[in-house]
Amino acid sequence: MQLFSGRARTLESVVGMLILLVMVATAAGIYIVSQNYNMARFGIASGSGQESGGDFLPVGKAETYNNDNLYEKIDGKAPMYQEAGFVKLTAQRFAAKSNSELGFELYVYDMNNAKNAFSVYSRQKRADATDLNDLGVSAFGYVAGNEICISLGRNYIEMIGSAESNELVDGMEGIAKDLSAKFKPTDNDKIVELGYFPPQGTVAGSWKLQIDNAFGFDGLTDAYSATYKIGDKAVSIFFSKRKNADEAKAIAKNYYDFLITNGGKAVTVDGEVLKSAGASVADFYGSFEMVFSTGVFVGGVHEANDKQAAEKAAEILIGRLKEIND
Amino acid sequence: MTEPNQINSARRQLLIRGAKAAASIAAAVGVARWLYDPKGPGAKNEEVGFLGTSVKGLSDFSVPRKDGQVISIVKGQDRAKTVNKAIELLGGIERFIKPGDVVVIKPNVGFATPPLLGATTHPDVIAAVVKLCYEKKASKVIVTDNSINDPASCFTISGISKAASAAGAQVVMPRDSYFSPLTLEGGSLIKDWPIYCAPFAKANKLIGIAPLKNHHRSVASMTMKNWYGLLGGRRNVFHQDINNIIAELAMLVKPTLVILDGTVTMMTNGPTGGSVSDLKKTNTMIVSCDMVAADAFGCSLLNLKPADLPYLAIAEKAGVGTVDYESLKPLRAEVT
Repeated sequence: MQLFSGRARTLESVVGMLILLVMVATAAGIYIVSQNYNMARFGIASGSGQESGGDFLPVGKAETYNNDNLYEKIDGKAPMYQEAGFVKLTAQRFAAKSNSELGFELYVYDMNNAKNAFSVYSRQKRADATDLNDLGVSAFGYVAGNEICISLGRNYIEMIGSAESNELVDGMEGIAKDLSAKFKPTDNDKIVELGYFPPQGTVAGSWKLQIDNAFGFDGLTDAYSATYKIGDKAVSIFFSKRKNADEAKAIAKNYYDFLITNGGKAVTVDGEVLKSAGASVADFYGSFEMVFSTGVFVGGVHEANDKQAAEKAAEILIGRLKEIND
Repeated sequence: MTEPNQINSARRQLLIRGAKAAASIAAAVGVARWLYDPKGPGAKNEEVGFLGTSVKGLSDFSVPRKDGQVISIVKGQDRAKTVNKAIELLGGIERFIKPGDVVVIKPNVGFATPPLLGATTHPDVIAAVVKLCYEKKASKVIVTDNSINDPASCFTISGISKAASAAGAQVVMPRDSYFSPLTLEGGSLIKDWPIYCAPFAKANKLIGIAPLKNHHRSVASMTMKNWYGLLGGRRNVFHQDINNIIAELAMLVKPTLVILDGTVTMMTNGPTGGSVSDLKKTNTMIVSCDMVAADAFGCSLLNLKPADLPYLAIAEKAGVGTVDYESLKPLRAEVT
């Protein structure tokens, strides 16, 4: 008896050929998609000569970058994105229909999830930015001179204008609104932690999220910070939600040890609220750093110039985080 | 029970399949061997270089040191005026460029962004320096950089191609054959690594011109970081050891002069920036024969201390220059 009948061998060969064909077709598909990224997905047509639907025309083809070659496009800034969960960048240049000298480059960073996108958005937000307030819930955006930046669901988007021009910025704002209408963040994209800051006194739009290595300490991850106003004094407050109270307490201790090891000098803590949260204060080269833990949160104050303002802000933050814990 | 002829058939099948598998493996190995580049990434040709020259490495382009004329700092908004004045203070361009010299200018052309954003060397400085070189009868001025992302776009959109060409310089864009594997003696990172050196092969003078920028990875990007553009291959691997690679590049490259353009400084979100909000008018041009001193001074424009940039101390220890730029008695001036 033969091990394989002629019919079985034929079937085996046919199946084998089919598998190979599927693999070749898949590879070809991936190559074609990567070479012709469809910017229409972002509400803007791609490919030279096509209408954009707005006041701008695409110039050349869209470029795509992954983790292997992101540095080719943004060089030394690539690690910041990669450490925050970067997946893919798509970039496309556009020129104004009315003036080809006027244009912008659109960067769409796929950051895998909304928190990652918000992290790179918030860390690069310009101090003199004007917030775009009508982008919808859980979408963030601002204009700074010639540039518009948006955090929209899992995407972080930049539009970099070639000139400081009202015409250009108006056009880019229109595109920003179109994008936010097309890609409305879902409830899953909502960054609930921003609501943990004290509602009174926290400067809206000042939020930052550092996914890792917050304030230079690699043990402090997922740290949210914001500017808090105590009278006319501004203080940077922060917190990070941990798995449990023990972990929060351990991180608070390790962060304080890190400050002292790196030149910080221990400072006496005043106030019962702060003492009850085990707060520690260090004079770190002329500014005050404070860290405490309450429940599952580790929190504190970063680079405060005024100790009293820092202590007051920390007390308010502790009170707020206790409410969340409860 | 298995018959003997069935066993033979199975053995035959096994041998045939084994032979086929071995042939497949051998073919894969053969293809891999065919594709293998023993010289490393980017180093395709070390024998035939730029303009048909033989490329062995980078020469020493420096000129004899003159105490008291090592670094100049000129305040002013007009780049052409400030760079001219700064060079004049160091003894004039004739100290650095002689008739017949072949000069390479290495700007930062790392991005396809307009001059407005300050991410690349401003074309006005390049044009001014090219003109100065030709005034002293340089036989050729080459402007080049290893822009990894679409060099043509980088040179065009940055305005460098147009400005350099208009001033009479030859603009050279990178090709695979322009890289040669080099090793820095005593270095730990630059070992048999492809370096962009063919355009320097026939030159006897080298001028680095860098913008002054904040940098996410190295804290600041100035004249020493500008040599990062000479690295070929997958140079992003050096981002993990950024301080040592910058210091090693400063040990490898011995320029005639470095120019640090602090007319506008990128204070945040470097090295790419993107918004004019990242920029600050600092109205300062620094020209120096000592790149460590130039960068140490540049720190002050970024509100940093030299100690914030570990690569400065490493380079100083290696004898590249001094962090204590005041000890060099900088020549200062202001132009309107």
